[in-house]
Amino acid sequence: MHEDKSAKWFIFVSIVFFLVTILIGFTMAIKFVFPEFLGGVGIFSFGRIRAIHTNGVLFGWLLAADMGLAYYLVPRLCGVKLFSEKLGIATLLLWVVIVLGAVVTLASGQTQAREYLELVMWLDVLVTVAWVMFAVNIFGTIAKRKYPQMYVSLWYIMGTIFWTALIWIVGNLPVYSGVNDANVNWWFGHNAVGLIFTPLGVATAYYFIPKSTGNPLYSHRLSLIGFWTIAFLYIWTGAHHILFGPIPVWLQTVAIVFSISLLIPVWTVIANFFGTLKGKWAQGNYIVKFLMSGTVFYLLTCIQGPMHSLRSVNQIVSKTDWIPGHAHMAVFGAFSFFAIAGIYFAVPKIYKTTLFSAKLAEWHFWLSFVGFLGFSTSLWIGGFLQGLQWMDHTIAFIDTVKAMSPYYVVRLLSAVLMVAGQLLFALNIFKTARIQAGEPALAA
Amino acid sequence: MKIVETKSVVLVVFVALLALLGTYFTMVVPLMDQSLYEPTADATPYSKLELRGKEIYQREGCTYCHTQQVRNLLAETKRYGMGEEETFKRYGVRALIQAPPSQPGEYVYDKPHLLGTRRVGPDLARVGGKYDNSWHINHLRDPRSTSPGSIMPAYSWYFDDRGQPTKDAIALVAYLQKLGTNIKWREQGVARVKNQ
Ligand code: HEC
Repeated sequence: MHEDKSAKWFIFVSIVFFLVTILIGFTMAIKFVFPEFLGGVGIFSFGRIRAIHTNGVLFGWLLAADMGLAYYLVPRLCGVKLFSEKLGIATLLLWVVIVLGAVVTLASGQTQAREYLELVMWLDVLVTVAWVMFAVNIFGTIAKRKYPQMYVSLWYIMGTIFWTALIWIVGNLPVYSGVNDANVNWWFGHNAVGLIFTPLGVATAYYFIPKSTGNPLYSHRLSLIGFWTIAFLYIWTGAHHILFGPIPVWLQTVAIVFSISLLIPVWTVIANFFGTLKGKWAQGNYIVKFLMSGTVFYLLTCIQGPMHSLRSVNQIVSKTDWIPGHAHMAVFGAFSFFAIAGIYFAVPKIYKTTLFSAKLAEWHFWLSFVGFLGFSTSLWIGGFLQGLQWMDHTIAFIDTVKAMSPYYVVRLLSAVLMVAGQLLFALNIFKTARIQAGEPALAA
Repeated sequence: MKIVETKSVVLVVFVALLALLGTYFTMVVPLMDQSLYEPTADATPYSKLELRGKEIYQREGCTYCHTQQVRNLLAETKRYGMGEEETFKRYGVRALIQAPPSQPGEYVYDKPHLLGTRRVGPDLARVGGKYDNSWHINHLRDPRSTSPGSIMPAYSWYFDDRGQPTKDAIALVAYLQKLGTNIKWREQGVARVKNQ
């Protein structure tokens, strides 16, 4: 009954962007070991491709994948067809224009130079238009739903539609200056993680964990507490990125208090996921493996986050390589894992077939899992040690740079595994889509 | 309680109210805090050349490897201050002059801000006056010539065929020399030491 055109095309396009943008990330990892690699050319220099990597994985891959999954699960949770497949495809085309436009402008150095808000004005406007189109489609579907009671995934998706619009539009207004610009930048930056990618990741996990394990949702009450506490608490925390910095001390303290209290929504959500996964840990297939490890990484990220906001910890780890290790646990280890699990579940369902190869998917999981652990652990250890070295002003800065080099090598090797895994992922999904066209399945 | 689970409009209204509450206190209140727009005593707007340099800095994403904020920590005010050797060479006194922690009033002319979050390389908030122009030019042309072991990119596209800096490279250096001078901390620090 479901056409799923918007869902599957969003998913396919997101996977292509995923491959391209992690290859750019990989290039950066090479540059940390061989700084002259692809040197001498502006468009390949670290400062340019850094923004392409971050914007690419966040908006080209993860947000697009989550939008695709929303087009898949919202109609199913509502018991009706998607409001408009045509509108969905139009949204996708606009999204592709945006991503390509972003690559070209960023490579040529056109940027707002505010972290995670780099895209120039005309692209910001297009993103807003695309988001409104997405909102119309989702709310249109919800409005004509068959079941009056809305499942928790729907709350999160509706919330995200509002939060994204708010922070995107307000964050991009060209009116701020000085330290207030920095404060707004981190109000945006932190809420991009906390009020776009967290709730969408949680929404997909809330749908796919019960679906793929066959267990019912563990607790309705926990899902209520988790949702409303995150809706209240998250938006207060942005200033924890500028602790000890040139912003009012009360603002820093407020950010710390709210950051610590984020443990409440996180632990309720995690308890709910674990309760729902109960009994399935041993027999999990690749989908359940991605969901389980995604849940564990979500827990670990969200223990790290509040801890980083403590002044005693922050003075050591802030500004070091520890932080990219942390960021990758959230965006790759947790939310990308949830999206991947959702895609492995949804695409065969859309095509009414089985996955091209379960074995490849197992490989994909282990390469991603081990690769990620190597990636982040090396940055955590190296970054922490570098933070301690910075505490001693008699150690020259350049010596602390040199001390990082073994960790950068391990990070690069781990990145090879991460990239290899995602290549298998793309292959598997595109082959699954082709089975439809008459090719036989490799293995059930 | 049931109504937020059955009426989508009600849910979104509550979500919006909660989000605006936090936004008001953590964003709007600081935006209205006039003391954050008060320039420091020595603060001056950027010259045209410096502003051009700032644009280059933004375009090249220097901010992804360099912060521009000395945090209010002893380790940082010492690290990013003026070392004994340097003070002696320049001012004839032997003393470590600590860099003042960054203050809001130093940034009033920054739009966009470039505080940064990551230190692949050192903080640059107090780099103005630390090196002479030719050091910066050589460093930008080939960081490993001045700083062996550096992983900073070589910005060769800001140099012509004969290795001479372009106008943009000169503007960038002018910008770097301006950083941190909205407080005359080197002169003030030396004067303090001499008066003791
Ligand atoms: C890949 C990261 C990276 C990028 C991008 C980068 N740098 Fe650096 N930078 C470093 C590292 C590492 C050092 C320390 C070693 C050295 O002196 O080269 C450094 C040192 C410096 C120093 C010397 C600071 C001091 O106190 O000794 C200056 C000035 C500087 N960079 C300016 C820039 C400018 C301007 C840009 C952009 C055009 C830039 N950097 C881009 C990594 C980077």
